[in-house]
Amino acid sequence: MAVFRWGHSWNDALSDLEREVDSILQSVNQTFQGLRFGRQHPPINLYDLDDHYLITAEIAGVTTEDLDLAIADGVLTIRGGRKLDEGADENRYRRQERPHGSWQRSVSLPERVSEDGLKADLTNGILQIVLPKAQDEAPRQIPVTGG
Amino acid sequence: MSNELSRANPESTDGSKQRSSRERSTPPVERYVFTPPIDIHETDDGLILRADLPGVSLDTLELQVQNNRLTLFGRVPQVAPEGARLVHQEYHEGDYLRSFILSDNVDHDRISAKLTNGVLEVFLPHTPKSQPRKIQVSGS
Repeated sequence: MAVFRWGHSWNDALSDLEREVDSILQSVNQTFQGLRFGRQHPPINLYDLDDHYLITAEIAGVTTEDLDLAIADGVLTIRGGRKLDEGADENRYRRQERPHGSWQRSVSLPERVSEDGLKADLTNGILQIVLPKAQDEAPRQIPVTGG
Repeated sequence: MSNELSRANPESTDGSKQRSSRERSTPPVERYVFTPPIDIHETDDGLILRADLPGVSLDTLELQVQNNRLTLFGRVPQVAPEGARLVHQEYHEGDYLRSFILSDNVDHDRISAKLTNGVLEVFLPHTPKSQPRKIQVSGS
């Protein structure tokens, strides 16, 4: 589990430091690495591809009806949740390790992302969000007048 | 619970093929094997087991019963295309493995399972209760 949340610094040199510190802390956590219990917020990964970013999240059991993606002011908000299984009597659980309830995650987007081209797909409990990078604008010549 | 973390051959579909890096000449790609979280819920007819297996599809799931042991193994294909640079990571991709000892009153032949949105649901029905049978006692 990453300790640093990605925010504004993920495109500069600080991310190397973050990764370094993360790997040190993760080695401490190694014992718990195999167990995927007790995560109330679904974990996300972020990839940089040449012309877009890809966000993936593990959200098993969440349907598209219970998932809400919103983008405003450069912040992507993912809202979702899942209920206790239907018809299940809480007193008749012998073992309960899977988290349930609602959650929300906000992700600050880098400046140059085309918000209109955002695409999302939910398959087999993996959410994939594609964020196309905004095209570079052609340089604009500014005429200079002088006397 | 065992097998929380190991290195496995990424091509492997069989948990038994896992090897440590020392046995191989080329360094293997690090691959995790996770213990998925489960719920076990009792109903009048049997038990319902649910496991979170995000990324596992019908094609990559193996579910088997052998000698009273139910084993699930789900392989997770890599999501990001080759060449993608990982900028921020909160989880590792890996496969899921977990096994359970079934109690004697589970009817093995009628076990059924379905996979929906990355959640595996296994129904473990009770064996039908046998009716009491009167035994005639003969005497002299």
